[in-house]
Amino acid sequence: MNYFAGLDIGSTAIKVVFVDENGRLAGEHVTPTGSLFYKNAKEAFETLLTKMALQREQVRYLIATGYGRKLFKDADDSISEITANGIGAHEAGKAFGGVGTIINIGGQDSKAIRIDSHGGVTNFVMNDKCAAGTGRFLDVAARNLEIGLEELGDYHFKAVAGPLDINSTCTVFAESEIIGLLANGHGKGEIISGIHNSIARRTVRLAKKVGLDERVYFDGGPALNKGLAAAIEDELGREVVVPEHPQTTTAFGAAILARSEFLAESAERRAEKVELQAQAALAEAAKSASCGPQCGSGACGAHAG
Amino acid sequence: MNGPFNSGKPVVPEPSPQSAGASPRARKPKEPLPFGKTKQAREAEKVLNHIVDDFDDNPKAMDYFYDLFRRVYCRGETIAPDGPLIGTTCIQAPEELIYAMGATPVRLCNGSYHYDQIGAEFMPSKSCSLVKATLGMLTSDDPVPRVGKLDLVVNPTTCDQKKKASAMMQDMGHAVFDLELPNVKESEASRVYWQRSVRSFAEEIRKVTGKKLTRKNLKAALARTQRAEKAFRVLDGFRKASPSIFLGKDAFLVVNAYFFDNLDNWCEAVERLNDELKIRYDNAVRAAQKKAPRIVFTGSPPIFPNLKLPLLIERAGGVVVSDETCSANRMLYDMTAVDEWLVNDMVDSLADKYLKPCTCPIFTKNDDRRRRLLELVKKFEADGIVYQAFAGCQVYEMEQRSVAKTLDENGIPMLYVETDYSPDDEGQLSTRIEAFLESIKTRKRMRQ
Repeated sequence: MNYFAGLDIGSTAIKVVFVDENGRLAGEHVTPTGSLFYKNAKEAFETLLTKMALQREQVRYLIATGYGRKLFKDADDSISEITANGIGAHEAGKAFGGVGTIINIGGQDSKAIRIDSHGGVTNFVMNDKCAAGTGRFLDVAARNLEIGLEELGDYHFKAVAGPLDINSTCTVFAESEIIGLLANGHGKGEIISGIHNSIARRTVRLAKKVGLDERVYFDGGPALNKGLAAAIEDELGREVVVPEHPQTTTAFGAAILARSEFLAESAERRAEKVELQAQAALAEAAKSASCGPQCGSGACGAHAG
Repeated sequence: MNGPFNSGKPVVPEPSPQSAGASPRARKPKEPLPFGKTKQAREAEKVLNHIVDDFDDNPKAMDYFYDLFRRVYCRGETIAPDGPLIGTTCIQAPEELIYAMGATPVRLCNGSYHYDQIGAEFMPSKSCSLVKATLGMLTSDDPVPRVGKLDLVVNPTTCDQKKKASAMMQDMGHAVFDLELPNVKESEASRVYWQRSVRSFAEEIRKVTGKKLTRKNLKAALARTQRAEKAFRVLDGFRKASPSIFLGKDAFLVVNAYFFDNLDNWCEAVERLNDELKIRYDNAVRAAQKKAPRIVFTGSPPIFPNLKLPLLIERAGGVVVSDETCSANRMLYDMTAVDEWLVNDMVDSLADKYLKPCTCPIFTKNDDRRRRLLELVKKFEADGIVYQAFAGCQVYEMEQRSVAKTLDENGIPMLYVETDYSPDDEGQLSTRIEAFLESIKTRKRMRQ
């Protein structure tokens, strides 16, 4: 069995996805990016190989994406994470009845992408320069509140009083605002739902710039946070779908593309082979046509029979 | 009339707050760095190396321009002016008048991040990089490349930031003439108002050079600039070729050189380039892949060394086939149409040429810009538009909406990028540009 790989080297996490010959998700692996991202990416890829008991040769095509895509020289090709995200969400979104707008929140950026009915990107926007309202923001908030990142979602729904206003979108200033709120005796649930609402407002503003489809697909690591997804849904006033594996949608898209690139290239190779054979046959025919009756050896088969 | 560049005054470093009292030993005054080692020279060098080395098989005739930029920006040489030197802060200042009366124009608009940082020391934080860098350069004690002693600065009253820059330049010791530009383009009143402004500009130049504007010298000046315009149009024509035979990064550099180069030398160099491009065209020598997405560039002007965005586009496999910016296409595309070769009529025709085709967003309405963009996309068979707005350039930022709408209605994809001179968003921008080019390629594949 042949497999195709997508490797998404993000600022915070490395995501590897394999798809099989039919383009179905076959396996995935997520690991922190760390500082030695080339080494870690290679290791992540090998870990998934081992996990699935595959040989390197069985992975026929590898496409890298994410901010480290250019530096990963083992890949067959690289593609921007926006295109890969579009393809991945288009494919994963079929289960939900198709999606046209994607919100992606990553480790240090957030994007809104609009795709057409084939998964092609028609428009996109990204936050400028600043990491406000991204995964890093949640990371810092969780640390201030002395809870785990994965607990944020649960706390969101524990807010008894209404969500508090978090006015700073800057990661650094919000930190002191959160500490101030804690010092004033506010509950963690109220603070966290306030943080989620603040990120949601920012993100939805971005999404409105590309145009909203009836269903909005939400992916990236922070989409694992159910509280944030709920806040975005409230802010949008329409359905938000979060896939089963939100963190790996982009890697999945790259893997799907790896498969179609491989198929296109083999089709090309086959066509070339047919072409070459046809040319050889033609040359052969021309040769035999040009040999005169003085030959008579019949070795070339031209005069056989 | 005394610019800070020629005064020959020794550079006295101001005591920095850290050093005051901290060190008991008297510091030796710092030796000024040789120009080639200064920050602005290193910045220019780096960009030039990208322009030259990141691309194979640059036209041989481009060497004139690569060399010119190296001499002026990396080694600090100045191009000797004929007669007094008049600095312009915008393309709306009719240079024909300056040439006619025996002076030399030099466009001061600056693209250096180094000077942007100097300007940021005294300009509001939300002002645009271009204005900050230009004022930063004019205030700087460093040797200033390409700008010698300025006898006059002409400042067309365009956007608010440039208007207010006028008084600041005066405070720096420059003689500044405010060339009054109307806010509305369409009305007859503004046309008359502008013609009067242009006439008083001519009067101001006469005070500097002591020469009168005559039918003869204006006609001669027009002939010189029209030679440049003609050479530019021929060059522009080669950019229609598909696959491309000439890249946008070189096109920007050529027109950027017009800011400060000797006019006749520039014309000769462009004519040589055109000859070479003709041969390349006949021999189908490609500068990019056949399927490279063709981009029209619009918005805030790329000025060397800030060719960040055009370079990112072309390094990612796209080609900038045309532009609608005041640092390139808008500068030389339009020619003066003279009805009567009498001095007053010539000045009026000149004024019309500067006002009527101008597509700068400072005007209240700007339908011409959208029309022009559609025309360029059609003429150059472009696949999409990249719109650059310098953060803080309100007029370009605001006009984005109407331009985006028109392009959308015509099915032309556009990437809007808000940026400035700092290099810190290059990584993020390259992702956005690649995604944009990839989406164009997908779109084209779907259409087939």
